[in-house]
Amino acid sequence: MIDQDIINKTNKVFEESFEIEKERLVPTAHIFTDLGLDSLDIVDLVVALQNTFGVKIRNEERVRDIRTLEDIYKFIAEMKKEEAGKTS
Amino acid sequence: MNRAALFFLNVYLYSLFLFISGLVTPILTGVVVALAPISPRRRSMKRFRRFISWYGKIITRAAYPFIKVRYEDHAEQGAEGPFIFVCNHQSASDPFLMSVLPHECVQIVNIWPFRIPVLGVYARFAGYLNIRMMSHGQFIEKASRLLEQGVSVIFFPEGTRSTTGKMGSFHGAAFRLALETKAPVVPLCITGNAQIPPKGSLLLRPGTIRIRRLPAVTWNEYKDVNAFTLKNRVWKIIDRELTSMESKA
Repeated sequence: MIDQDIINKTNKVFEESFEIEKERLVPTAHIFTDLGLDSLDIVDLVVALQNTFGVKIRNEERVRDIRTLEDIYKFIAEMKKEEAGKTS
Repeated sequence: MNRAALFFLNVYLYSLFLFISGLVTPILTGVVVALAPISPRRRSMKRFRRFISWYGKIITRAAYPFIKVRYEDHAEQGAEGPFIFVCNHQSASDPFLMSVLPHECVQIVNIWPFRIPVLGVYARFAGYLNIRMMSHGQFIEKASRLLEQGVSVIFFPEGTRSTTGKMGSFHGAAFRLALETKAPVVPLCITGNAQIPPKGSLLLRPGTIRIRRLPAVTWNEYKDVNAFTLKNRVWKIIDRELTSMESKA
């Protein structure tokens, strides 16, 4: 189960940084084909997600596997868990 | 228009196209080549691009009265060039129609325009950029250099001609270039040439083509957004205008 706060904040990134309408932000939305981002937009997305969640997203395999909004929610949840593990 | 009339119209228009091309291109090329040794390279390029624009004007005007071309300049005073022009794309005639713009321009093209006999060679010499043949970094570098020299760049960011009557989604290169260079982005709308000629055909039909230039979106208006957002804003501006132009056609 993904934290609702992660979902809300991620959706807000898409609404504010990319001006994508709220109604289109469903978990199954494909970020390339449904939301219209291209590979270079991912750089802007990563920066916006880093600023929102205060995590450091490196150029790792998991980022390249992201396809849907739900993949982003899961990815951020994992990142936050890892960060929390490091600090505790 | 019945089939026979359409057949004769096409024979007439294509003969005219070949006759004018055969006459005009050697003359213009000859002038450019003759003056090249005594002109700096920059001036030669400017002259060459101006001649390409004249050629486009002659070709598009020669089809009158069967094909009428109307340029509507809705640009507001203020924004200074060079510009990044962003245009919808429905027909192979679109690149020729860019000759209405009173600027030194280079078009950003796909692979196939470079393969057109004769015209492809001219496009290459005029410094048109084939976006598919270079990395994003190389493209931004080359296009930025053109803008620095005062040359406007023209994009058809759908990448391919639309066949549905609905404008396709945009690629982001034009908007990333804008964010890098702070150049004004000028939306251009073309209507009336979806059948002149339609995609996949060479058959020309009579009609009126309208090219409307809209006010520029300036750096001050887009400096706080990313390329994706700018792309969608410009897409919406063009889409809204096309709807309005088509409803009043």
